[in-house]
Amino acid sequence: MAQEPKDVLVRMHEDLQRALEKAPEDRRWVMVIDLRKCVGCHACTIACVAENKLPPGVVYRPVLEQERGTYPNVSRSFVPRPCMQCDNPPCTPVCPVTATYKNAEGIVVVDYEQCIGCRACLVACPYGARTSDFGYTYTEDLPVLEGAIVGRETSDDYEVAANYEYGKEWSRANHGSPIGNARKCHFCLHRIHEGELPACVSTCIGRATLYGDANDPDSVVAELINLPNVIRLKEELGTEPRVYYLV
Amino acid sequence: MAKNQEVKAASKGFNWKSLTKAEQSVIAIGAVAFILGIWGLYTRLFVGEREVGYGSYVVWGLWVSMYLFLAGVATGSYMIAVLEYLFNVPMFKGTGKAALWAGLVTMPAALASIGMDLGHMDRIVNVYLRPNFMSLLAQMVWGYTLFLLVVIVTLWFAFKRPSGAFFKVVLWIGFFMAIFLSGGVGALLGVNASRPYWSVGLLSVQFPIFAFASGVSLMLIVVGWFMHFNDEEQRYHLFRWLGWVAIALSLAKIYILWAYLSQAWYSQVPDVMVPFNEIIFGEYWWSFWIIQIAIGTVIPLVLHMIPKLAHNKFWAGAIGVMVLVGFAAARANIVFPAMSVEMLDGLPTAFFGPHLNIRYFPSVLEWSVTLGVIGGAILAFVLGAEFLAVFNKPKTEVK
Ligand code: SF4
Ligand code: SF4
Repeated sequence: MAQEPKDVLVRMHEDLQRALEKAPEDRRWVMVIDLRKCVGCHACTIACVAENKLPPGVVYRPVLEQERGTYPNVSRSFVPRPCMQCDNPPCTPVCPVTATYKNAEGIVVVDYEQCIGCRACLVACPYGARTSDFGYTYTEDLPVLEGAIVGRETSDDYEVAANYEYGKEWSRANHGSPIGNARKCHFCLHRIHEGELPACVSTCIGRATLYGDANDPDSVVAELINLPNVIRLKEELGTEPRVYYLV
Repeated sequence: MAKNQEVKAASKGFNWKSLTKAEQSVIAIGAVAFILGIWGLYTRLFVGEREVGYGSYVVWGLWVSMYLFLAGVATGSYMIAVLEYLFNVPMFKGTGKAALWAGLVTMPAALASIGMDLGHMDRIVNVYLRPNFMSLLAQMVWGYTLFLLVVIVTLWFAFKRPSGAFFKVVLWIGFFMAIFLSGGVGALLGVNASRPYWSVGLLSVQFPIFAFASGVSLMLIVVGWFMHFNDEEQRYHLFRWLGWVAIALSLAKIYILWAYLSQAWYSQVPDVMVPFNEIIFGEYWWSFWIIQIAIGTVIPLVLHMIPKLAHNKFWAGAIGVMVLVGFAAARANIVFPAMSVEMLDGLPTAFFGPHLNIRYFPSVLEWSVTLGVIGGAILAFVLGAEFLAVFNKPKTEVK
């Protein structure tokens, strides 16, 4: 009797466990986004905002809506745009203090405590994948409702509570980092190291975002990245993105 | 009577009454600008960066442009000083100290302007302790800091040991630094392949020439408004020569601008054409046509052609101011429009929030800080120059 195929999420979890048993430099994390399946629900964007407690003006994974053609021959596509984790990242050599660099696993990270906030990396990124944290909170203009169970103060507490990017605790309470820093998608490294998929991958309602170790021939992503219908954004720049799109 | 006043003004130190009308007026303008800047400086330093117009898409704004501009004035001023002290160009005799002092004042102003742009100013020390010399920005921070020290040493020599051999060595070092650093700020932009408008040829080559032109313009102001001469013939002699140099540089500027913009136009590369159209016809047209071209280039050229005005103290200084204002606008026109390009189709409308905009106009905070920095630099320049008596031609020294 033929075996029931496994849900891709289950397979990716298994891929992840195998990858974590390897040395960091032997992993090659990649993301595959199936544009044919993306319905433009923006759930990944919101999951990312919640996971990383992103303030107003900071976004790691917007979904671009692109329209082509004129009526009646029109089409519309949705293109989620995380950081490409380029293998030749233009954003890292411009950093005056090496606060942003490619780590052992090939993920381009930002050392929030070292970053001086010059935004040279924002200028250099050809994908607009970095945003600056100007220190806003979503709740700051809301009224304080006396006696309400959930008023601004409660939501404030949530917003200033720490996030755990890069496996460290980052509290926004005293205007410290990451306020004033460049910020970007890091493929949810803090979740990966705990054996969890990136928040956008877990949340995608269409199973359109896939993640894993391309060095593992049995992984979901390794099966996909060499298909003929795969493209990468602005490939002509030679940045060697690690995000692949199925079209 | 007039001669007595000049001799009085030429003595070391100063008091308000001994200042000329021009000096008093410029000090008053500097003071007003500085006062208007206090709010901005206070807000930026003690409240934060939120009220700025730039953001994550138009990443660098007025403060970075002013850094490029002021750094150009600083290096250009040094080049002028080199003409007197290293190459012994007779017509520049006596202008060197004023030029060096201008460099010493504008360099910290440039660094202050770029410092305001940092999300974590408190960590600037990281650039000295853990620099990445592959980064043009790190090279510039180190380069300009060393240049500042070289300017201080040069000024010391100019006062204390003007004929020492070591002075010449310092001047050569400073001269090369001035050329490379002024070009380096262009390269700071040009290395970003992500911004095709900055990758048009000639970008960094034009910066040293524009820096020298800024130095010449500043000298027109100094000679026209501030320097004390016993013999007015000396002033006219300087006007004539500075005028010729300024005309030649203006023509070179027009040629370079044409070469740059025409290459952009003929390339028809979409990401180059967006900034091009923004500058020539779009949001920044007035800054280009009115400030950069009309006020900064054409009117000064016309005034240079009218000897009566070109050799008039007020108008010579005014020409210098106009050219400098034009250069400031030119820097802005290079920086902002190049970033009004959608990095990916649909990116600006994919997510909304503060500072996620490809349209940019400097905010009140940015203008205020810029006024504060420039006002402070004007005050420091004029008051310091009077204090150090750098506006005196050697022959007019009071025995
Ligand atoms: S997408 Fe941009 S931020 Fe991400 S690695 Fe590439 S250049 Fe750097
Ligand atoms: S903003 Fe931070 S990470 Fe980016 S280049 Fe500047 S110092 Fe480096």
